[in-house]
Amino acid sequence: MSIGLKANTDGSGAVQIGGTDAVSISAALGITFATGVDGDFKMNSGYGSIATAFGCRAWVNFNGTGVVAIRASGNVSSITDNGVGTYTVNFATAMPDRDYAASGVCGNENNFIGLATDGFVPTASAIRLSIHDAANMPQDSAFVNFVTHR
Amino acid sequence: MKRIIYQDDTGGVAIIVPADCGLTIEQIAAKDVPAGVAYSIVDVADIPTDRTFRNAWEIT
Repeated sequence: MSIGLKANTDGSGAVQIGGTDAVSISAALGITFATGVDGDFKMNSGYGSIATAFGCRAWVNFNGTGVVAIRASGNVSSITDNGVGTYTVNFATAMPDRDYAASGVCGNENNFIGLATDGFVPTASAIRLSIHDAANMPQDSAFVNFVTHR
Repeated sequence: MKRIIYQDDTGGVAIIVPADCGLTIEQIAAKDVPAGVAYSIVDVADIPTDRTFRNAWEIT
């Protein structure tokens, strides 16, 4: 047995909680938090206190060798293969600005990932990354994982 | 599977790999190819798999 709560009998509309629609639940928009409060989702899930949960805004796992291909991703429209070990991650929905934090790892020993490389400053819609070997030479990698938080 | 290719501003070849994001490849091209740059949509089988000389690739 389940108990449902619908704003309208056809499932449309939103169930709103709080005097200023602080939390709204709808099939169309999911769970949203009103910016009139502060718009943040907060929780205490091992934090030790109630704090804003900063979500991952974009992520991608791709193979940068052979036929370069994306294994899985979220909020990424594409990656651009710019050459050996050099890729651009293009966001499906742009970040609010370019001040996000990005990080990544790759699959070869002695490799590291550089961000905003080759003079390409990150934008709200894309960031360039390069994979280098221990001698700082560009190198393809079969496993490239990249995430962005904001 | 398709890829979007264009010549970048260094004369090299940029290859866009679409993600499964709900956009068509034409929409991705319009969004992720630099403005004003000509591009082509090609089959993935047309992209070489040997990347030994990747930085020397040219669009023919």
